[in-house]
Amino acid sequence: MVMAMNDSIMEIKGVSKTFDGIVHALDDVSIAINKNEIVGVVGENGAGKSTLMKILVGVYSPDNGEWYYRGKKIPFPKNPKEAVKRGISIVYQEKGVVPCLKVYQFLFLGHEDKYVRLSRLNINKMKKYARDILEEFHVKCNIENFMYELPLSTQKMVEIARAILGVRLEHEEDDITSVIILDEPTAPLTIEERRELFGEILDMKKNASFIFVSHIIPEVMEFTDRVHVLRDGKMIAHYDLSKEKVTEEDFFKAIVGKESVEYIYKQAEIKEFVSEETVLTVKNLTKRGCYYDISFDLHKGECIGIFGPTGSGKSEIINTIAGLMNFENGSLVVKGKEVKANEPPHVRLTRGIGYFSGETGKELFLNWPITKNISIVNIKKILRKFIPVLNFTAEKKMAERIVKQLRIKTPSVNAECYALSGGSKQKVSVGKWFERSPAILLLEDPTIGIDVGARDDIYETTLETKKKGISMILISDDPKEYSILCDKIMFIKHGRIQKVINNEKFKQEVTK
Amino acid sequence: MKTPDRKKLIPSIIIQTIKIYPVILILIAFVVIFSSLYPEKFLTSLNLTTILRQFVTLMLFAVGPSIVVVTGSLDLSYVGIWMLGGILVWFLKPILGMYSILVIPVLGLATGFLNGIIHAKAKMPSFILTLSLLVIYSGLTATIAGGIPRTVKGYDFITADFIHGIPTAFLWTIPIIIVAIYIMKRTRIGIYLYSIGSNEEGARLAGINVDKYKILAFTISGLFSGIGSVIIFQHQGGSVPVVLNLNTVVYPLVAIVLGGTLLVGGSGGPHRTILGALTFTVLIRGLIISFLDPTMIQLIVGLLLIVSIVVGSRGVKGVTVT
Repeated sequence: MVMAMNDSIMEIKGVSKTFDGIVHALDDVSIAINKNEIVGVVGENGAGKSTLMKILVGVYSPDNGEWYYRGKKIPFPKNPKEAVKRGISIVYQEKGVVPCLKVYQFLFLGHEDKYVRLSRLNINKMKKYARDILEEFHVKCNIENFMYELPLSTQKMVEIARAILGVRLEHEEDDITSVIILDEPTAPLTIEERRELFGEILDMKKNASFIFVSHIIPEVMEFTDRVHVLRDGKMIAHYDLSKEKVTEEDFFKAIVGKESVEYIYKQAEIKEFVSEETVLTVKNLTKRGCYYDISFDLHKGECIGIFGPTGSGKSEIINTIAGLMNFENGSLVVKGKEVKANEPPHVRLTRGIGYFSGETGKELFLNWPITKNISIVNIKKILRKFIPVLNFTAEKKMAERIVKQLRIKTPSVNAECYALSGGSKQKVSVGKWFERSPAILLLEDPTIGIDVGARDDIYETTLETKKKGISMILISDDPKEYSILCDKIMFIKHGRIQKVINNEKFKQEVTK
Repeated sequence: MKTPDRKKLIPSIIIQTIKIYPVILILIAFVVIFSSLYPEKFLTSLNLTTILRQFVTLMLFAVGPSIVVVTGSLDLSYVGIWMLGGILVWFLKPILGMYSILVIPVLGLATGFLNGIIHAKAKMPSFILTLSLLVIYSGLTATIAGGIPRTVKGYDFITADFIHGIPTAFLWTIPIIIVAIYIMKRTRIGIYLYSIGSNEEGARLAGINVDKYKILAFTISGLFSGIGSVIIFQHQGGSVPVVLNLNTVVYPLVAIVLGGTLLVGGSGGPHRTILGALTFTVLIRGLIISFLDPTMIQLIVGLLLIVSIVVGSRGVKGVTVT
């Protein structure tokens, strides 16, 4: 063992946690963090990642387990403030940023009491310290800017800097090494932004340790020193990436416990479903500042992917077709009928265009049971024939069918959606569209923020729906998703189509 | 799901019901407290009939707004519809004869539609909007009435004694409530209104015409308030006040919130308001019997409103939609 004992900053041993005395969220989990290293924690949604992190930052207290700080045994932190005093802070997946504050105001948010002089803030001192700390971590931004003006990756960096700053301000000792927990920090970022962020984090490693929670396996393999794999609340595997050679497939098997769908579905099968009939014709579609001269035909049973970085206009195009935005020039012909530019989504739906956005919670009615969440777009199917009254038996049957098809883990179809795991929530919200089966289904990031197992279930059902002759347009951040689902991929840059290639070529290009 | 054996079935149903409607416990507590404190006054048939009568007024006012509250908005115009509608009946009776009573539901419908249009299209906060409308209506009422309460005769048949001991207005309330619950629970309109209150963006993405259904919610609410006002109008002897009384505005709100409908929308509804109205009426009757100073009663009502909103919003996750 090269590492000396005093390199270990903190260690937890044998932590268990149950909720309501039934659900085993964590079962005998141990994890150690050494100085200047990045530790990855991966696992499906519901595997216990968030619970473990919440125990580390003092949001939950464990049922049993031990906590060692530099070799000494001490009790678990009781609240986040106490955890910060021990050097542990967390950067949450989303909603961590206060957009309307200036950078330096945001950095000191919650720690202003250290800079109060005669009940007014010593702003110059704050600004100076803010500049120092941003320089230390190579965050390039003006502290007078508002948070919302920064690119997403820089916002994340500022958040991380803020977490470290908080630790330093709250801690009495000077030589404290911060342990920063990054809870899926890359979820809202594009591939380029991710690379940028990781470059910065590797830089910061000199001054802090990180726990990196994610389910994007390539990322974890590239940037972490050691990885823990959680499944169903248990520590399934632990890889030391500097010593062992671990492949992506190994990870996959450890996380899910089965093979991935890409190896089940062959490209040849997808081709068969596409017919000659055109359902959507887009011609010279233009909206200044967003996209220009977009033209393509969508055939029955076809799936077209629009591929490009965030800000390239891909989400604007899909939003336009969904009716959430209007266009300025060009034409949009749905099933032979030209549509108006300013039609709202509900009119587009009657024309057969359904829109699904994977953004967390955007589509879901959290306080509703699964049944209602599914029937909301399928009301016509559950109305009785003579008087327009809801038929609850039909509603239940419909929900049960989808729960079975998508393998949603739930005690019953009457379970309320806030209690489901992230992957199941996503399955419920996408499942209602599969049940509705509109002629054209627009998918925006259908699997964002969910784990590999749930992804596979969604891909499988998507391909089955496609077989039935439903056309789709997909945009996503994950190139793999395009290669699994799409027949054609359009590359888009600065709002213009660069090239259109088929799936085979795309695979070659991406793997290059 | 396992079928529980018969002995455990009834207690489990009771526990389940109380979990969904915790206000039942408060209702039982009030009844027990008041009937043990004032047994000779509280448990008389006269008092029970009075409770029923006041419950009717409260319920008829609250049933419409509880539909709007489900969508996450607020409708305060019910008292305005009642006052202006009542005085219009007096004003138009010489012209329209007996049909002039129909002016109240028509006014309700029109007011609701107007509220809905302005709220949905001009994006005006519904609280301010309907409050302004309420003030406008009460001003109009006073102007038309010339500042004196006017009484209209000839509509006694509406509340004529039907079953002895039970106010006829109460009998009228039953079908109105059933229709409201039916709309909210069994039709497409209902499920769409709940969806708007629960997650407006999600409703829009699910292809629901949000503006249309918001307008519809206000229109239905206005119509219910209008129909209810006809009954309240005759229930209170064919006259309306010409001065706005804040209590008549606040009491139905308390009934809605106490029943467990959250002001943020997405859950609750008319069926919950029944229990809320009943509980609140029992409390008010109990307090009146207790010879408490009327100002003290107002204080208690205000506190009750705040407490039930706080309790309600803290328990968002525990409240079921059903």
